[in-house]
Amino acid sequence: MKIPRKEELIRLQVEYKTDKRIGEALGGIPEYLVAYWRRKKNIGRYSLPKYSKERIKDLWETYGNDEKAGAELGISKSGFYKWRKIYNLMEKPRMLKHQQLEFTLAGQPGASKSGRTLVEQGAGRQTMAQKLLARKAGKLEAQLGEIVNVEPDLAMSHDNAGLVIKQFRQIGQEKVWNPHGIVIPLDHRAPAESEKTATAHKSIREFVKEQKIKNFYDIREGICHQVVIEKAHIMPGELAVGTDSHTTSYGCLGALSTGIGATEMAAVWATGKIWLKVPESLRIVIHGRMPKGVYAKDVILYIIGQLTVEGASYKSVEYYGEAVGKMSISERFTLCNLSMEMGAKFAVVPFDKITKRYLSSTAGRQHEPLFSDRDAVFEREFEFDVSRLEPQVACPHNVDNVKPVSEMKGTRIDQVVLGSCTNGRLDDLEVAARALKGKKVHPDVRMLVLPATRTVYGQAMRKGFLKTFLEAGAVILNPGCGPCLGAHEGIMAAGERCLATTNRNFKGRMGSTESEVYLASPAVAAATAIKGEIADPTR
Amino acid sequence: MLRPASGGTRNDIAVLARLNAMEQITGRVRKLGDNIDTDVIYPGKYLPIIDAPEMALHALEGYDPEFPKKIQKGDIIVAGANFGCGSSREQAATCLKYAGIACIVAKSFSRIFFRNAINQGLALVQSREAPDKIEQGQTVTINFASGEITTSKSEKFAFPPLPEFLMGILKDGGLIPHVKRSLKG
Repeated sequence: MKIPRKEELIRLQVEYKTDKRIGEALGGIPEYLVAYWRRKKNIGRYSLPKYSKERIKDLWETYGNDEKAGAELGISKSGFYKWRKIYNLMEKPRMLKHQQLEFTLAGQPGASKSGRTLVEQGAGRQTMAQKLLARKAGKLEAQLGEIVNVEPDLAMSHDNAGLVIKQFRQIGQEKVWNPHGIVIPLDHRAPAESEKTATAHKSIREFVKEQKIKNFYDIREGICHQVVIEKAHIMPGELAVGTDSHTTSYGCLGALSTGIGATEMAAVWATGKIWLKVPESLRIVIHGRMPKGVYAKDVILYIIGQLTVEGASYKSVEYYGEAVGKMSISERFTLCNLSMEMGAKFAVVPFDKITKRYLSSTAGRQHEPLFSDRDAVFEREFEFDVSRLEPQVACPHNVDNVKPVSEMKGTRIDQVVLGSCTNGRLDDLEVAARALKGKKVHPDVRMLVLPATRTVYGQAMRKGFLKTFLEAGAVILNPGCGPCLGAHEGIMAAGERCLATTNRNFKGRMGSTESEVYLASPAVAAATAIKGEIADPTR
Repeated sequence: MLRPASGGTRNDIAVLARLNAMEQITGRVRKLGDNIDTDVIYPGKYLPIIDAPEMALHALEGYDPEFPKKIQKGDIIVAGANFGCGSSREQAATCLKYAGIACIVAKSFSRIFFRNAINQGLALVQSREAPDKIEQGQTVTINFASGEITTSKSEKFAFPPLPEFLMGILKDGGLIPHVKRSLKG
C-alpha cells in the first residue's frame, strides 16, 4: 500500500470528508491510520466551512463592501475579506444586486460612511409601529389611530402575575392560550419581603406548574426585562406586552414592546389577543459623539428634560443618529427603558449591525427585522447633538426635572443605589467599579449595589467588580428590583436623600414621602458615593 | 335615557341599565395638579395587597396621607396633565374606583393608566380647558351621553366621547366580563 501524497489526501478529504470513508475508498484502510497520515502531513480534521461559498458570493455581490457584508454575518471587515479570499472572490462586482433598494437614513450625517443603511423591499409610507401592528393583526396596512386586535409574541409578567392569575381565574378559562408565549421572572420583591408576597409567589409557582409554563424564572434569576433579553425571549421585529411599564426596553433589539395592566394580561393569557391603538411616531436623531464620562443615561435624561414627562405620550419613538449607531445593546436598553418616562408607548432603536453582532453572539432565534419606510410619516422630529453634553441629574420629584451635574454639585446624599433594569448591567457595574477601585465609599453614605441578573452577578464576580465594591464598603444585594420601587432593601427615611441609577424619582418612590430621589448615571453614582455629595465624574 | 331596540335581549337591557346609570353623574370636585403619578396614587409598599376594598384605604396616600379618609362616595377628581404616569400598576385605578371616585377629569392621562381605568370600569373624561376653570369643592355634573361637563356656576365644557370599541368594554362592565362574553360567543 502506497501512502497517498498530501495533495491526494486533501483531494480525498474534499470528496469523502471523514477519515473512515477515506479509508474505505482506499480499500479498507482503518480509520486511525488515515488519521495518522493526516497528522503527519499536517492536515486538519475535515470540517464544514462556517460560511458557504454561495453565501459569501451572494453577500459580496449584494454589497460589494467588506464592512457591510461582514455586518450581515456579524463578522468584521477583515473577517469577511478573509472568507472572500478563501473563495477567490477578488474582483469587485460590476452591478450590486440590491443597489436599487439601498438607501441611507435621511438626515443622518455620515450614515453611509458608518454603513447604517436599510434594505427594504417595497415602500408604503408606514412606520415600524404601523407595519408590525398590521402584521400582527393579519392586515396589509394599519392606519394611525386605528384600534387593532393583535396577538403578541411575548406576554411578560413579574410578581404581579399573582394578580393576573386572580383575574384569569375570574374569566373561567381552564388553560392559557399558549404556555410558551408567557414569561414570568420574579424580581420585584425577591426574596419575598412579607407573608403576602410569599403567598403570591407560591400561587405563581403552582400556576406555572399547572399550566406547563416553562419560562418561569424564580427569585434567583434577576430583573424581568434583563432576563427577557438574556434568555432571548424577544427578537427583532417581534411584539411584546408586559405587566410592567418599562417593557419598552426591548426596543434595544429592534422589537416593539409596551406595558399593560394585570387585567389586560389575564385577557391575553386567555385569548392570546390584545387591543392596541396604532400610535403616531416620533423620530429622535441623536448626533455627535458622547464625551468621555457621559453615557446613554445622561443622553436620555437630557432628552426627557427637553421633551418633558408627557413629551412622547402615546407615541412610538424611533431613535436614529450617529450617537445611537455607536451605542451598545446595553446602552440602547437604557435609552428605550427610560423613554417610558416621557410617556412613550414603544421606544425602538432600529435593527443594525450592532444588533446583528449581538444576536450572532447569543442564542438567538430566527427573526425578521422591521424598518420604517423611508417616506414614513412621523408626527414630529427632534434632533439633538450630544458632543458637548455633561452628565445629567433628574431632581425630585419628576424625571423631567433634569439639571446638569455641575448645578447640583455639593448636594449631600445619604444613600447611593447602583442597579435596576435601567443601569444594572455589566458595563454599568464596570464604570462604577473602575471609579471605586482603591477608594472608599464616604462614611456617611450607604451604597447599595444590585447586579441586574444572576448572569451579570457572575460576570461581575469573575471580573473582580464585586470585590472592588466590597472593599470600597458597598453593600451587594441580590439581583432584582430591590429599593427602586421602595418595596424593601433600602427604604428611605424622612429627610433623607438618595442618588440612584434607577428610573423614577417620584415623591415617596423609595420610602418616606419626605425623602428625595435623584437619578443619574453609574459614573455620577460612584463619584457621589466617594464624595458623600453629588459629584461630577468628568472633573 | 337609552332604550333597547325592539327585540332586545334581557342582557341588552341590563347593559343599558348600567350605561344609563353612568349617563350622568354629579359629584363634588377634588382638585389635583399635573403629573399625578402612580407612586403617589398607590405607593409601592402596598402592592402585595390583592383585595380591592383594602387597596381603597390607601388611595392617593402619597399625595396626602389623610386623602383616603376625605373621599366621599361619588367624588370627582379633576386633575391636570399626564394623570397616572409612571408604573403600570393597575392598583392605581382599582384603589380610586373602590375608594368611591366616580370619574376622573384630566387634561390628559398616561397611556397605561387610561387602559387600566377602562378595564376596571372607572370613567375617564379628557378635557384640556375644564381642569383650569373648575374649582376645588365645586359640584359638577358630567353627562356622558351628550359629552358635556356642567359646573355649579353653569359653565359648560364639551369633551369627545370614547371610541366605540372602548365603549363596548365599558358596556360589558369592564374587560373581564367583556372577555367572558366574547369567549362564550
